[in-house]
Amino acid sequence: MVLVALLLVPVIGGAVIGLGRWRPVVAWTAVGLNGVGLAGAVALAVRVVSSGPVDGAGGLLRADPLSAFMTVVIGAVALLSSWVGVRWNTEELARGRTTAGRATGYGILVQAFIATMLLAVLAANVGILWVGVEATTIVTTFLVGHRRTRGALEASWKYIMICSVGIALAFLGTVLVYLAAVHAGVPGGHALDWRALVAAAPRMDHGVVRLGFALIVLGYGTKVGLAPSHSWLPDAHSQAPAPVSALMSGVLLTVAFTAILRFKTVADAALGPAFPRALLVTMALLSLAVASSLLITQRDYKRMLAYSSIEHMGLLALGAAAGIPLAIAAVLLHILGHGLTKSVLFLSSGEILAVEGTSEIAGVRALLARRPALGGIFGVGLLALVGLPPFSLFTSELLMARAEFQVGLGWAAALAVGAMVVVFVAVAGHGRRMLLGVPDNPGAGPDGSTGEGTRLPVSATAPLVGGLVACAAIGVLAWPLAPLLRAAARVVSP
Amino acid sequence: MSGPWPAATQLAVSTLQVGGVLVGGPLLLGLTRKVKARLEGRTGPPVRQPWRDLRKLAGRERTRPEQASWIFPLAPLVLVATALVVAAGAPLVAVNPAFGTSADLFAVVYLLLLGSVALALAGLDTGTAFGGMGASRALTIGAVAEPALLVAVLALSIPARSSNLPAIVSSSLAHPIWLASPQRLLALGAFLIVVLAENGRLPVDNPGTHLELTMIHEAMVLEYAGPDLALVTLGESARLVVLLGLLANLFAPWGIATRPGAATLAVGAVTVVAKVGALGVGLAVFEVFMAKLRLFRVPELLSGAFVLAVLAVVVALVVP
Amino acid sequence: MRAGSYDSVLALAVGAVLVCAVAALWLSSVRGVVRVLAAQGLALGLVALLLGLHVHDTALVATAGVVVGLKAVVIPTLLRRVAGETHSRETRPLVNVPASLVAAAALSLLAFSTTRDVVRLVPTGAGKLVPVGFATLLLGFFVLVARRKPVFQMVGLLLVDNAVALIAFLITAGVPFLIELGVSLDVLLGVVVLMVLASRLRADYGEVDLDALQELRD
Repeated sequence: MVLVALLLVPVIGGAVIGLGRWRPVVAWTAVGLNGVGLAGAVALAVRVVSSGPVDGAGGLLRADPLSAFMTVVIGAVALLSSWVGVRWNTEELARGRTTAGRATGYGILVQAFIATMLLAVLAANVGILWVGVEATTIVTTFLVGHRRTRGALEASWKYIMICSVGIALAFLGTVLVYLAAVHAGVPGGHALDWRALVAAAPRMDHGVVRLGFALIVLGYGTKVGLAPSHSWLPDAHSQAPAPVSALMSGVLLTVAFTAILRFKTVADAALGPAFPRALLVTMALLSLAVASSLLITQRDYKRMLAYSSIEHMGLLALGAAAGIPLAIAAVLLHILGHGLTKSVLFLSSGEILAVEGTSEIAGVRALLARRPALGGIFGVGLLALVGLPPFSLFTSELLMARAEFQVGLGWAAALAVGAMVVVFVAVAGHGRRMLLGVPDNPGAGPDGSTGEGTRLPVSATAPLVGGLVACAAIGVLAWPLAPLLRAAARVVSP
Repeated sequence: MSGPWPAATQLAVSTLQVGGVLVGGPLLLGLTRKVKARLEGRTGPPVRQPWRDLRKLAGRERTRPEQASWIFPLAPLVLVATALVVAAGAPLVAVNPAFGTSADLFAVVYLLLLGSVALALAGLDTGTAFGGMGASRALTIGAVAEPALLVAVLALSIPARSSNLPAIVSSSLAHPIWLASPQRLLALGAFLIVVLAENGRLPVDNPGTHLELTMIHEAMVLEYAGPDLALVTLGESARLVVLLGLLANLFAPWGIATRPGAATLAVGAVTVVAKVGALGVGLAVFEVFMAKLRLFRVPELLSGAFVLAVLAVVVALVVP
Repeated sequence: MRAGSYDSVLALAVGAVLVCAVAALWLSSVRGVVRVLAAQGLALGLVALLLGLHVHDTALVATAGVVVGLKAVVIPTLLRRVAGETHSRETRPLVNVPASLVAAAALSLLAFSTTRDVVRLVPTGAGKLVPVGFATLLLGFFVLVARRKPVFQMVGLLLVDNAVALIAFLITAGVPFLIELGVSLDVLLGVVVLMVLASRLRADYGEVDLDALQELRD
């Protein structure tokens, strides 16, 4: 019941927006509901840690520590994104770039998007998991194309074409794992249940599981944005409205990644760690290479953030390849830290785009001097993103590297560190060009408006600062999360 | 397999087949022309007209291009000889003619190819522009068509576990269910396309064309005249009969004589004539309704045939 | 039905699905390709029907009906509407037709060689046909990457989808019904999304050629 209620919160939010049309009061109600969703997710996590997994909806849904953790991540980023989304839509309406009807549609789709992600992480059954991930694709396609510019339509076309293929492959992989499970003696009705799969894994046929797992990693890997099927990601994330980019980059990628983690548990038990590890390490290093080399030459700051997401997904895959509980705990911590940081960055990049009128790095100068609050948030976010302490990404990267050395993946960790240095130099360079410097014409932006006139209201800065503070707090303390992370790591790596 | 065949019967079968192919070839040409003419609303020449033409040509004086070497007069002989060798060994009237054991599908394909290559060489040998052009086009087509044919043959020989023609025919008679299997149908598709291409029929080549620039096969034999031309026409028509007969008996073997005896042989002869005749009529009807493909689209058609053949092999390996 | 004729009719239906995929690679007119896609949907429905009758599974027979309705009627109609009345053709594919047909042959052999384990594991005769399903899958991929026009890419995607459905039918004789329904619904939704996108593109920018859609790149 609890789980269904948790799923229903964003559905109600969508219904409220649908019935009340887009008005500030309605939009803020939906934000409030997302806050309730986050509170519910935290409560669920506490309950799961203290008294074990919760089942729901006749066994189709289950919250184990891993799902509980992911609902918290989704809840947090959803709250940030819908909060800033109110302001984003108000601005768009004020500038005449959207209509009330389209803003309503946007609000409904965002809530539906949140609901489908929750469905994917709370699924007890890998079939439902697949349906959830597929549904996120369909919903987000409309969101990516929401602005209806040529670029946005192109991005959403690429997005749905590439991701649909990925999803089809993931389905095929799921079917093959089902076959292996049925062959291993699991009754057909339970052969898609994740727990039953893990239990039966040691008896499964190696060849079929190997093929199935490879298809699943390739398929869900498309949604994660792992190379070689990452090419949709920079387009979609740069063209989507900023709050949607925040959700997609911050959580959608990692929701798909947890699907890979779940199947990795099955594959590890069936095949031993060598094959999943080789596959994940290959894709991780490929992603890191692609991301770091393309980050150097980026001219667009939203695309820069998108490529940085590919880099972080590569780091996650490498951590998952290590596979020991320490590595998985670090991976999950990284998922949370990346979700918070990246969503703050995308949300503030939306602000920058709104006030500066360009997404070119070269078009933005001396942001820190002209708009201290916005520039400060963006700058601190970039520092967090490249993994500087005290932010949690530093902690999780350190832990992942340690785990990788422990299992003999030190060489891969060293390569990853090399890629991270390149990323650091590239991102720091781009950030320096955007943030530092002396304004040519003090007090006036390129659009003629004065920096003072468009100072951010507290309601806009609060969620961004809050996200960064949370990220730093987790990095320093890790305290409220430690038991949850430990329990979730044991789910993936028993 | 049925009981042992007396050597004399086998020889008789082979003689019957060779004779039938020789006589029937020009008649088949006449038949297709007649059907086409009727469909186009003309009366058309009588069916035996090609024979009359041949007789007239045979009576003429031999003329050969001055630059031509010994290849030029040899090529028509090779063409006729290869077609007749295939006719002698292939299971047309009965499953087990003389030399049947050596009638391997691959051998048959290469024998027929030998004839085509000889003609292409002769086309080049004349040293004229049209001869060379025709030869190069024919070889381009052949280069794609031959692999398709070979792979289609491979697909047929997998279920029979033998590439011997009589063995394939008798095992498909024993397992009629094979005839509707996907690999057979795929191979049939490939085979049909190749037969059309190899014999210079529409939509690959137009046998009735008078435009040198669009010619493929006709351009190649443009320099032949008199008895040489008669031989070329005879060889070509024999080849068409053999290929159509093989097509009929590989994909629909009913009626072929499986055991020695005058009655069964007669039935076999009648059915094979009927099948080839029906295929000839079908060919004519098809050509009436079909336009010639542009030359650069021919490789598309033939590579399609190749894919069908490969798929047939894959399916044959999958479905035992 | 006798076992022998059941097997051979099933093999025929599966073979038809594959041939339709080849034909989609072969043809260059939108109209023809959509017709081929509809034929493939029909063949796929036949496969589901045969399997359902064979194992006496009403849910699978019902699925067959859904498959035919969706893949042989609804989706082709929608596609035709997206493509519009123009007799559009693929004039400049990235890979020309002969080369792509030869590639198709190579892909089929690849499919055969990678699926031996699956064939070994499936107890029924239907399992032997799984490599054909994988060959269809790879051909669908090839259409997707080798063609430029959005309609052809959608066809490629639908071929991949049909292949996945075919493999699922053959391997499991029907995954649990609930999931199957979800899958079909999702496919329908996906196609609707694609349609909306394509028609928006067409409405806003005229005849759509993905060649023209190359603003976003590094």
